[in-house]
Amino acid sequence: MKWVRAALLPLVALASAAAAETWLDQVEERLTFAAFNGHLHSRLSGEVSLEAYQFQQPAPGFLFTSGHALFNPRLALFLDGHCGENLTGFVQVRADRGFDPGNGRLRLRLDEYALRYAPWSDGRASLQIGQFATVIGNWVARHVSRDNPFVSAPLPYENMTAIYDREVPVSRQEFLAYDPTEKYEYNPIIWGPAYGTGAAVSGRFGKFDYAVEAKNTGPSARPEAWPITHTGFERPAFSARVGYRPDLRWKFGVSASDSSYLHGTTAPSLPRGTTLRDFRERLFAQDAAFAWGHLQVWAELFETWFEVPRVGTVRTIAGYIETKYKFTPQCYGALRWNRQGYSTINDGLGSRQPWRNALWRLDAASGYRFSPQIDGKLQASAQHESSHRNAFDLHYAAQLNVRF
Amino acid sequence: MNDFTVFRLLTLLLTAISVRCATIEGRVALPAALTTHVKNQRYEVVSKGGVVATNPPLAVVYLEGDFAPPSAPVTVQLAQKDLAFVQTLLPVRVGTRIEFPNLDDLYHNIFSLSRPKRFDLGRYRPEDRPIPSQVFDKTGLVTLRCEIHEHMRGLILVLNTPHFIVTDATGRFTLTGLPAGKYTLKAWVDSTTTRSQAVELSSDSNLRVDFP
Repeated sequence: MKWVRAALLPLVALASAAAAETWLDQVEERLTFAAFNGHLHSRLSGEVSLEAYQFQQPAPGFLFTSGHALFNPRLALFLDGHCGENLTGFVQVRADRGFDPGNGRLRLRLDEYALRYAPWSDGRASLQIGQFATVIGNWVARHVSRDNPFVSAPLPYENMTAIYDREVPVSRQEFLAYDPTEKYEYNPIIWGPAYGTGAAVSGRFGKFDYAVEAKNTGPSARPEAWPITHTGFERPAFSARVGYRPDLRWKFGVSASDSSYLHGTTAPSLPRGTTLRDFRERLFAQDAAFAWGHLQVWAELFETWFEVPRVGTVRTIAGYIETKYKFTPQCYGALRWNRQGYSTINDGLGSRQPWRNALWRLDAASGYRFSPQIDGKLQASAQHESSHRNAFDLHYAAQLNVRF
Repeated sequence: MNDFTVFRLLTLLLTAISVRCATIEGRVALPAALTTHVKNQRYEVVSKGGVVATNPPLAVVYLEGDFAPPSAPVTVQLAQKDLAFVQTLLPVRVGTRIEFPNLDDLYHNIFSLSRPKRFDLGRYRPEDRPIPSQVFDKTGLVTLRCEIHEHMRGLILVLNTPHFIVTDATGRFTLTGLPAGKYTLKAWVDSTTTRSQAVELSSDSNLRVDFP
């Protein structure tokens, strides 16, 4: 890990410089623009992140490498714009070693772009079109590094199930033979923030808020399927969330999604008399959040059904509860308990077994704000998978972020 | 002695006191206007405009000298309304308690990592009592931010003097009630620019000082 320390030390030194705060504020001011007599405003901002991981194989979550360590530098650029009172837009571009980091080279990627029209000033409804994060659940609204107390995502957003979207199982035995060395062939129930392309209507009425979206891909779709250039709207995916906020401290929500999850190339392999539309991912989620003073708590529970060719309907339940507490103005601690379980199916040999090993993971993290724009995080995770030869897999992650 | 007589005597006394105090007026050359802030609304369900207005550039003019400590603790308020600090620049005397009332219908989380005062108020609602507050017991510049609304900025200038004032948008100021003596008049323009000028005040002087 010498190279990780070598990479982190200069930035830690930078973080200790009192001048960094003022300098980064000045950079922010320089990156704000106005035109047409103040009618059009835009702001370019960004974040440089250095992430280092150390882990046991198989690599956890969305890490795709055969080694035991990974270094992932990332530059994220955000453009937030505003035209008049009713039209806003944003773009997010990232340069890194992949949305799901691996051994690849650095490359540039357009992750999000959207235009939002909000005709009413009371926020009762707005229409957004583009490629943007899903409306499901409560983690997406805090998935950018600034708002995420951890380095990684909660388990439901990054744990690969035994579902695969680019092939069709020929038998139940093949479906049950999960191969961890081919992890990228599989799908989670929801792939990170699920930046699919489409349109969303959202708004608020009193203590209730709502969001409905129609996109080209469902929540489990992989990143390369998100752009409109890759996946059209032949089989649109629909998702919705209704939120209730009894007071500022509490937030509750329920989400649902219905989509066709198989890739178009699998059509010739489907059982006779079926089409891609017959094989659905249906998801129902509940979320809750509490915040008061220095304490924040979030929880989500997902129940998901996949219709699998030649297997039938399989079900998985995944959830987590997460808490963050700020000990001092600069230091916080966070804990997250994650769990995912699977229904049993007939293995075709006369017995029943879960279609994937149940899993739990405990994440512990601590973060430190060197300045308002510079922070560092350390995370340790212990993961246990049923039927796994090791009692626990231990994973570590460190992240340093500089925002401007 | 009726109430009217008492009132006349008090008025005369106050007039006499005020006559014996010096006044400085003048103008501070201010830098170009600040840009407005653009709100990040990427993951907000409700959109209500995206531009947050800021005050025009302002300066703080203050008299530096050796003054007696305040006889009683001072408390002032710096509110948040419409996702902005009501005053973007607030000068206070060292030892002042500042309350941060939340006048919006959502959470704020004001914090500062500035060296003169590091604090984090956590998330608090408009109705939370007591109103979150901090005592500013070291001189210097404190930059306020909101952890939830990243565009929000506020400045508190903690001074070791009871004689200070914020200029108007054109840079004009009038500092009244000043005691006689030799002092340094300073104009804080921004975190890197403070102009100063020596002044000598007599009991009823009316001085004009411009900071170019």
